[in-house]
Amino acid sequence: MANTIEEVKTTVEERNNNEKGNGYLLEVKNLKKYFPINKSVLLGAKGYVKAVDGVTFGIKRGTTMGLVGESGCGKTTIGKTILRLTDKTDGEVIFNGTSIFDLNKKNLRSIRPRIQIIFQDPYSSLSPRLPVGEIIGEAVRDNNLVPKEEFDDYITKIMLDCGLQPYHKDRYPHEFSGGQRQRICIARAIALKPDFIVCDEPVSALDVSIQAQIINLLKDLQDKYHLTYLFISHDLSVVEHISDEIGVMYLGNLVEHADKEAIFANPLHPYTKALFSAIPIPDPDVKMNRIILEGNIPSPANPPSGCKFHTRCSSCMEVCKTVVPKEIEVEKGHKVVCHLYDKGINKDK
Amino acid sequence: MDNNNNSRNDNPKESGDYMKNANEHISVSTSLDDEQRVKVLSPGMLVFRRFIRNRLAIVGFFIILFMFLFSFVGGFLTPYDETEVFTYVGTMSKEYASITQNTELRYTVAEGKEYNDGAHAQFILAKNSGKKFFTYNGIEYSIIQEDEDLYIITQVTPVANVTYFRGLFGIAPMEGFEVSKVLEESVMSALEAGEEQFEIQGEVYTLTRENKDYILGKSENAALESTLIIDPAQQNLNVDFDFKYAAEKTIRDQDSGSFSANGQMFEVEEHNNISVIYQLGSNDRIPYAIISSYAMQPSSPEMFLSIDFKATVLEAIEENKGLFHFQDENGNAEYTITRINNVYTVKTETPTHLISMHESPSNKHLLGTDAHGMDVLTRLMYGGRISLSIGFIVVFLEIVIGIVLGGLAGYFGKWVDMLIMRVVDVFNCIPFLPLMIIMGSVMDSLDVQPDKRIFYLMLILGIMSWPGIARMVRGQILSLREQEFMIAAEATGIRVSRRIFKHLIPNVIPQLIVLATLGLGNIILYESTLSYFGLGVKFPFASWGNIISGVSTAYEMTNFWFVWIPAGLLILLTVLGFNFVGDGLRDAFDPKMKR
Repeated sequence: MANTIEEVKTTVEERNNNEKGNGYLLEVKNLKKYFPINKSVLLGAKGYVKAVDGVTFGIKRGTTMGLVGESGCGKTTIGKTILRLTDKTDGEVIFNGTSIFDLNKKNLRSIRPRIQIIFQDPYSSLSPRLPVGEIIGEAVRDNNLVPKEEFDDYITKIMLDCGLQPYHKDRYPHEFSGGQRQRICIARAIALKPDFIVCDEPVSALDVSIQAQIINLLKDLQDKYHLTYLFISHDLSVVEHISDEIGVMYLGNLVEHADKEAIFANPLHPYTKALFSAIPIPDPDVKMNRIILEGNIPSPANPPSGCKFHTRCSSCMEVCKTVVPKEIEVEKGHKVVCHLYDKGINKDK
Repeated sequence: MDNNNNSRNDNPKESGDYMKNANEHISVSTSLDDEQRVKVLSPGMLVFRRFIRNRLAIVGFFIILFMFLFSFVGGFLTPYDETEVFTYVGTMSKEYASITQNTELRYTVAEGKEYNDGAHAQFILAKNSGKKFFTYNGIEYSIIQEDEDLYIITQVTPVANVTYFRGLFGIAPMEGFEVSKVLEESVMSALEAGEEQFEIQGEVYTLTRENKDYILGKSENAALESTLIIDPAQQNLNVDFDFKYAAEKTIRDQDSGSFSANGQMFEVEEHNNISVIYQLGSNDRIPYAIISSYAMQPSSPEMFLSIDFKATVLEAIEENKGLFHFQDENGNAEYTITRINNVYTVKTETPTHLISMHESPSNKHLLGTDAHGMDVLTRLMYGGRISLSIGFIVVFLEIVIGIVLGGLAGYFGKWVDMLIMRVVDVFNCIPFLPLMIIMGSVMDSLDVQPDKRIFYLMLILGIMSWPGIARMVRGQILSLREQEFMIAAEATGIRVSRRIFKHLIPNVIPQLIVLATLGLGNIILYESTLSYFGLGVKFPFASWGNIISGVSTAYEMTNFWFVWIPAGLLILLTVLGFNFVGDGLRDAFDPKMKR
């Protein structure tokens, strides 16, 4: 078993050495994903749901980026598009120097094990007809990641790492609790020796005590295997716990992106402020100063003009209704998309 | 590593390490997670375990097992054949002879004379209008009524032209004829007396006036018209005009009991309008013919009725007896006479090979015999073979078509899906029973062999029933394709073939097996229904449906229960068995099921 760990570590180091470019393991450049509405043979698409509408960010190796936002703002779509599980509409996803969407099928298959995904629902993400050992080991065998004679030991090791017992191998997913299933999902991803894992709300279907275990497991594994996460969640406290950087999304756009510390200390975007004010504080004496957002999230099929948030923004200006704001780097590494921080516009005021 | 352990120990409940550490120290474990206590079962074993725990499913399974043994092994064990007809020798009232009372005049032609049906018709016309003469085919005939319903038809041949004018007499013979002196004198005396007919030397001559002259004609017997029928004792006996004339004269005159004809002596014995003619030999008399107004015909041409029998029958008819006895070389037998208009039928109990129809259950035939005299139990066994084979082959066919088309539709989607699903819609719109009835009658009119017909039936049933399977497969694949585990499988980068065969198909198979098992019962029902209507499996092949259709009347239904109740029970049990097993399999395949 020691051999395998050594091997894993060496491969990770090799990969580190090979890393190219600007230090980002994964770069997302102006990514767009539109879904056609009511597509019919005769009439064509009536319109598009702009699920992801020009998102740009980068994740450094070994770090975790948290992606937060209301439901329906396009977080999951970003995750799936990064893995090329859905086609992009525009933009680029660059993983370790190679553009994912430029790969042909064969190369895509070979790169697949290095980018993994963990889904929100641990019940539907495991095939009910396969035993756990097969679920975890299937892709390992199919991709020839481990020599045949070490295969069993390798799977056992991965299972132990993920808090599963070796005798679970022959059991079926339905025999496990939600938390254990999520561990199986994590084991399936980890077993492929990935560099990058998209965690698509991995704990939101679990109850709070299990959430903590899974989060801690993910953190442990990150340390152990030098993993990079894109952690998608709508739960800010979870994101705070695990992330190094946090991106806030609203209606298909990244509205604020900064280090965890910076964003929690000084949230800039009005939406981020409203979001952060909603974090429950487990102390009844502390008075909460919540910012209540009015109205519902607008339809992504017909987003508002100018700043998409202007319909619900407490400090909305005239300019917000017409002009699309640009990304402004307020501090180093703290980017925000809001006219409030646009020096040119504020000067006019 | 230390770090890891610490973090796990924060959550000992979920973490296995904690328990593992504990187990290292405590040899006897009470933990539910104990490896020793939890048996690991293969997927097949799990399904099997759940299946055998289902009592109803086991009952169904044994029913089906029994049906298979009954049909496929039973056919070898039974001593009889599928289409073996059982017979027995028994007596049966069979037609022996038929007798027609004759009221029409029938003719007998004299030797060397022309007289046929046309002349006979002319005679009837002439007789009915009271004429004495008629002409047919250029020959002149004259009618002489000898008795009631006895006419002698004579034919006149011109012999000479006779001139007789104021005492002057001249005679000129025709070519080929000679006129003797005696004849000449007789003509003259007849002319003087004004007679038109005279007899000389046993021959009758006629004088026919033509203008001023007369034509002398020689009159000869041409035929005899009578209602009496002469039935000779033997086929080769001579019953010619002379014999008949003499015999009839004798019978009608009733004055003498004997006559001679053709140089032989005969004697007539009359009783009740039936006359038996005996040929008189030197010491004895032999029955020669029977004369009556009845025509008797034996029921088969090989049979020959003796004159004694005929006489007895006719006597019985005359006396209006419905029943008589007759002693022959086979012994005394009883005969019955039934009358319809002028036709009498003589029936007698004849020993015959009879088909054992609707024989009640016995040791020889445990479930009796059917309307064809075949062993019901044996036919049930062979019928089971056909019914079950049809079920399996049709289900196999529909599953193959259903998987291929449903799989294509589900996997490729878009226009392929659109096209296949519309085809499915069209198939669902076709009314099943009318189509089968039409197909059945088409096959009837094309005279399709019964054995080929079974295959066509399978083909049609298979083609008609795949849409349900295709729909199910397509739906399953569509929903599975969007399942997260399929997306996760795609993300892990495994081969497409593996994705299809390891993830997609195993998730469809259980529903497929369940559908197929339940479908089997349905197909067997369909087959029975069609065979019952005479559209499916045809006689002589047995199927459970057409065994039941052999019973079509209320009488048969109430009296021959052993023909249709067992077949009905077999269908019922088989379908029930397949449904039980199908339900059991569905429950067994569903791992989420809780009992």
